[in-house]
Amino acid sequence: MSLLVNSLRRLRSHPQLHKIPPYISLLCIVGGIIWLLLLPLNQYSRQTYISENALLPGQVHTYFAGSEQNIFRGYREELRSVVKESGGEAHSSRENNVLWIDTISAIFKTAGLPTATQYFEDHAAGNLTSGTNIYSVLHAPRGDGTEAIMLLAPQQNARGEHNINGIALLLTLARYFKRWSLWSKDIIFLITPDTDGGPQAWISAYHSTHDPQTVESLPLKSGALQGAICVDLPFDHRFEKISISYDGINGQLPNLDLVNTAVSVASGQMGIGTTIQGMHHHDDSYRARLMTMLQGMISQAVGHGTGAHSVFMPYHIDAITLTAAGDGWQDEMALGRTVESIFRSLNNLLEHFHQSFFFYLLMQANRFVSIGTYLPSAMAVAAGFTIMAIHLWIRSGHVELRSELPGQCINAEAALAEKPSLDAHGLAHPPPNRQTQHIDRQLLKPILLILLAHLSGLIPLYLSHHTTYSHLPQTSLFTSFILLILPTLVSALSTLLPAQQYNLTKSLSLLLLGLSLSALATLNFSLSLALGLLCTPILFATRDRSIPGYLSRVALMVISPMGLWLLASTYFAFWVGNPGRVGDVLARMAFGWNVLGAWGVGVGIWGVWWPAWVVVATLAMTREVREGERG
Amino acid sequence: MTVNMPIDRRKALVIAAAIVGRILVFAFFPQLPELLTGQVEVSTPVTSYKRLQEGLFLYIRDVSPYEGGIFHQAPLLLPLFSLLPGRSSISLTTGLLYTLMDLANANALAKIADSGEAVSSRLFTSPRKGTRLDGAALSIAYLFNPFTIAGCLGRSTSAFTNTAIVHAVSNAVTGSPFRAMFALALASYLSMYPILLFPPLALLCWDQAVQKSNQKVGGLNMGMNLTASLFACINGFLWLSFMVMGGSWEFLSATYGFHLSVPDLTPNVGLWWYFFIEIFDSFREFFLGTFWLQLVAYVGGLTLRVRRQPLFIITTLLGLFAIFKPYPSISDVSLYLAFVPLYKHIFPLMRYTFIATSVMLYASLLGPAFYHLWIYAGSGNANFFYAITLVWSLGLSMLVGDMLFAVLRDEWEVERPEMKGKEIKRI
Repeated sequence: MSLLVNSLRRLRSHPQLHKIPPYISLLCIVGGIIWLLLLPLNQYSRQTYISENALLPGQVHTYFAGSEQNIFRGYREELRSVVKESGGEAHSSRENNVLWIDTISAIFKTAGLPTATQYFEDHAAGNLTSGTNIYSVLHAPRGDGTEAIMLLAPQQNARGEHNINGIALLLTLARYFKRWSLWSKDIIFLITPDTDGGPQAWISAYHSTHDPQTVESLPLKSGALQGAICVDLPFDHRFEKISISYDGINGQLPNLDLVNTAVSVASGQMGIGTTIQGMHHHDDSYRARLMTMLQGMISQAVGHGTGAHSVFMPYHIDAITLTAAGDGWQDEMALGRTVESIFRSLNNLLEHFHQSFFFYLLMQANRFVSIGTYLPSAMAVAAGFTIMAIHLWIRSGHVELRSELPGQCINAEAALAEKPSLDAHGLAHPPPNRQTQHIDRQLLKPILLILLAHLSGLIPLYLSHHTTYSHLPQTSLFTSFILLILPTLVSALSTLLPAQQYNLTKSLSLLLLGLSLSALATLNFSLSLALGLLCTPILFATRDRSIPGYLSRVALMVISPMGLWLLASTYFAFWVGNPGRVGDVLARMAFGWNVLGAWGVGVGIWGVWWPAWVVVATLAMTREVREGERG
Repeated sequence: MTVNMPIDRRKALVIAAAIVGRILVFAFFPQLPELLTGQVEVSTPVTSYKRLQEGLFLYIRDVSPYEGGIFHQAPLLLPLFSLLPGRSSISLTTGLLYTLMDLANANALAKIADSGEAVSSRLFTSPRKGTRLDGAALSIAYLFNPFTIAGCLGRSTSAFTNTAIVHAVSNAVTGSPFRAMFALALASYLSMYPILLFPPLALLCWDQAVQKSNQKVGGLNMGMNLTASLFACINGFLWLSFMVMGGSWEFLSATYGFHLSVPDLTPNVGLWWYFFIEIFDSFREFFLGTFWLQLVAYVGGLTLRVRRQPLFIITTLLGLFAIFKPYPSISDVSLYLAFVPLYKHIFPLMRYTFIATSVMLYASLLGPAFYHLWIYAGSGNANFFYAITLVWSLGLSMLVGDMLFAVLRDEWEVERPEMKGKEIKRI
């Protein structure tokens, strides 16, 4: 044992060993990508299964058929005539919308359901959006009102299509559910004008976390929400498949059991195919699985939600959207029966969804990988940064006395002159064969610089979420440009930097980056992985005066938050010919931040990526202190 | 508060910046103190500012503050806080009080550093004493420590205990043993566990007394005096509390009984809560005894082994308390980290600084993330947070153990100069 320990100790001080870590870092990044690419294979992904026995999906007969279809048609025509009369604007003030509200309230009341409305306003990027939620509560004949499940339909779906059919279906189901005596949980029927502001206003008021200035309180409440299903039927023709959306705000996902229940009811009981992530032609090939998974990861990384169900996730309410898709022979009654069967399953729940996974990647409606299998890829990427940080830390503790290559050597004498009181202690005297000299680390300046970089991220973060819509594109382009040249300006203040300061600053910066990425990976895996890969140029940027060195700096400039943004803006303005798109994206981000609480991208870019980038970019612009020069 | 130490203007400016920064946050970003007050890493059942508010509410209305079973802090805090103007939870005066306490701590730490006790005590002078930090640097390190700032903004009442401990040490170092005992009595009265610091603190007082006076100082005599004054002060505080509580001893079981029997298992950064959630009730008493014994046991061993550097015993004990206390929080860690820079001269002998720092950084970022996943998102569970508290404790114990190693190595090199600079080999 002692022999082993001592020989390891000798190996540790071997000079060749200090050249390996950058390659290990690279290996970690490449390994992370390869790991991700392996996931769709059969060996790494699993068939989904229902964990919660109480759900019993598809075990009941559904009776939503026949004469209900006439009622559905009647409701649909009534709603259509109202929309035609009032202009069909989803977002309008209460006064302009009074007919719509009255019609729906009347239908609910005729069915014998208590009904209420809620007016709300959202302020984001200087824009005001307002609307009215209409909802109604079916009090459970066999329950005590402590638990509830929810059916909702937005007037406009996430793609901006009118969802009159979905609302008519919801009203028909409300009337139909009212007649059953088997419900043990209250059922809430909610009709919202849109898929983000409306449900968000409703759910925040339901939990009394709303701002009473802009969002009305709810006059009618029920118990703790156990699950929510959103129906979306945006066309009149028959459909082929049901597309299930499940991503929530900030990449939070509903319990996998809910998705499984929907898939199992639709495909098993009703014989309707299910798709996810808009992959309507999934042929179960590796490519299709990978595309589905990547689509899901992009959506998770952006974290702005994909439908009305998304806003429920932060409140720990599992929710999905069922969207009718394709052209086939399934009619609205089939969708209604699917909803009925899912509701019967939810009605069986004995406790809140908890059995199945909360962290998963789906690559097909019935195939997934769980966190234990996919997390290593993001962690490997994050570890790449940490390994490099450790490597630079070790290097910052020594100056090399040997000078093999004249251009690259670190002048020991200059460093010695910098820090005369070095090595007052005895231990770190290196063995004679090491040719290095131990020096004390000067930590104050690097820590201050990194702190400053982190604080500076708050300015663009504030600007991007509080500028008014009309100024948003100009502000973003101007800020991007300033921030992009900032490292050059800062490094112009002092071009010369001793190697130790360079190594230390970069080490601490990479350490923090690795740290933030791995903490982020537990909250939003996809965002962390995406940021980790985008930060790769930071890892390998050097200040060498050589071709690879220059290339690394160019890569660093291009693959930066500002560089990519400027490129994207140019692309939209000159190739797509739609410069307004830039402003729309920014307004969308501001809305997500201010109204939905989607902090992922903002914090990820300005709190994780930007500080590391600006520190390393500044370092890459400096030069080493050479013989005869003083920093 | 006057900072009576020889510091240059730049450092005074930095210290002023730390103070102004805190007040600005209290005044203009009241959401941040509110957020921190609710964090389990900052507020424990025995130090929480919110629980203090509850106790205060009852106290002002002449109801026993311990009635609701929520408040478990020392009774004398109540009259103090009820005298402060602006009793709302976001009050600038409270913020000012906590900021002043931080400043007082920084001042006391500067005195400890400038006394040079850390590098050369009566019985031992380190060969590396040239590289020590001066008082101002130590104050800055304390005031800008993120854990100190978080503890100050979170207004946990362990700040009072910390202030008392720091002043006990600084008075002992500057040779005023009775003031030191008064401060230690206050600390013990507030949180009970600081009484374990008595042996090393008494040694420190004795060393100072011997160093100062030319004639012989009777060890036994001094020990008796110190013990007597400590217990007199504690009794004084207890009697005052008895009067404040309107002639009821109820507070004894509600505060010290609470510390001893650990009935509230709200999660915190320590190691107790999860263990006692999991343990079968029949073994509870046994393991309570074991856990407390484990905490107490370090005092004797360390006092004997590192006898020559009593200040280091105190430092190490503070680190161990921050790990093994029933209700530790990050403000206990901030107290330990306040003392660590005193031993800058042995940093080069430490082997795991980078790893320990990284581990603690990882834990302090992942801790809140996992707590969020468990409590708010509902997608994680208790094991997530517990695993991180284990990592946190691991990082801290690496630091404590490594410092102990470095100090022992430092002492050893004085005994055996021929081994200086040689690497240690396992034989």
